[in-house]
Amino acid sequence: MLTIVIRAILIYLVVLFVFRVMGKRQLGQMQPFELVLTLIIADLATIPMAEIGVPVLHGIIPLFTLVLLHFVFTLFSRWSTKFSMIISGKPVIVINPQGIDYKALKKLNVTIDDIFEAMRGLGYFSLEQVEYAIMETNGKISVLPKAEESPVTNKTMKFKVEASVIPVNIVSEGKVMKDNLNIAKIDEEFIKSFLRKNIGESAKIKNVLVMTIDKNGMVYLQMMNGSKKIFENVRRSA
Amino acid sequence: MKIFSKIMLVFMFLFLIVICVVEEEISSKSLFIVQNDCLRIENLTDGKENLQAMPITLAVDTLEYNWMNNESKLCYLTNHKSIQEIGVEIAKLKVYQQKNEIKEFNASLEAIKFYSKSYLHFMGASLHNVL
Repeated sequence: MLTIVIRAILIYLVVLFVFRVMGKRQLGQMQPFELVLTLIIADLATIPMAEIGVPVLHGIIPLFTLVLLHFVFTLFSRWSTKFSMIISGKPVIVINPQGIDYKALKKLNVTIDDIFEAMRGLGYFSLEQVEYAIMETNGKISVLPKAEESPVTNKTMKFKVEASVIPVNIVSEGKVMKDNLNIAKIDEEFIKSFLRKNIGESAKIKNVLVMTIDKNGMVYLQMMNGSKKIFENVRRSA
Repeated sequence: MKIFSKIMLVFMFLFLIVICVVEEEISSKSLFIVQNDCLRIENLTDGKENLQAMPITLAVDTLEYNWMNNESKLCYLTNHKSIQEIGVEIAKLKVYQQKNEIKEFNASLEAIKFYSKSYLHFMGASLHNVL
């Protein structure tokens, strides 16, 4: 039994490593060859895990081979559009201004119900709202709504707005995110003095649930036993 | 592409090459040792009536020792169940030697030679194995 436990840990680490090398794509974003690879990897990993007679190398070697093959396919796909089209296919327009392209649907082996489902998922419940719908190579459907159905943006309304800023998470569940301190250009002392000043002398970093700061000096702070507090125009010097 | 992925891909590539070479090397070397040991026993027992003679006992012990050493290495590369016949036949060989059963002894020796040849087929890289 101990052998199986150790093997399971070993194979788990190898599969984790393999997926890290492959990248961070999720199932829905996968190209066909990536999906095939993932399915095979899942199967390969279980064989040496349960069968003690099978060497662990019998699971690791095909995994490494497939990752290298995946790397080669990705490289070729980048170099050659033709190769990419053979391996991944190409996006197909399934709805155009004339309506549904039934021929394209038949080619893709997709039903009208599938199109409706994808449209509803994107918030469009009527075919009239859609100008174009495109079946992507990863199987997802992208929709371009008709001009009158497009969401209003600040640009269309000609509003002048400030540039968006991403808040940096500096404390998470009582732990200081050291890498983010450099990005926010502050140090741990700043956090301590901020807590002392705004929460109380006894406030400690370990009691902070979340604390973020953005470049405009807006601080979002929530203690573990309290509700959120927002501070504006906070100066970064302690 | 991240440097981590690049290094890992190179590592995987080298790892695969090393494993393939090591497998080829270990499997052929181990099985040739078995075949040589068998030939030596065959030469020693040729025309002899007494299998309990010291040189034959030593040769059989050497065969067993060599195979046990090599088997443990081969188990890293091949399914243990696929290569267990030689070990079983060596155990039989020792019993037949102690009982001085010449016919059975020779049959066991032939079986070991046969298995060592057939293992070479499925362990090495060949078109048969690929297909």
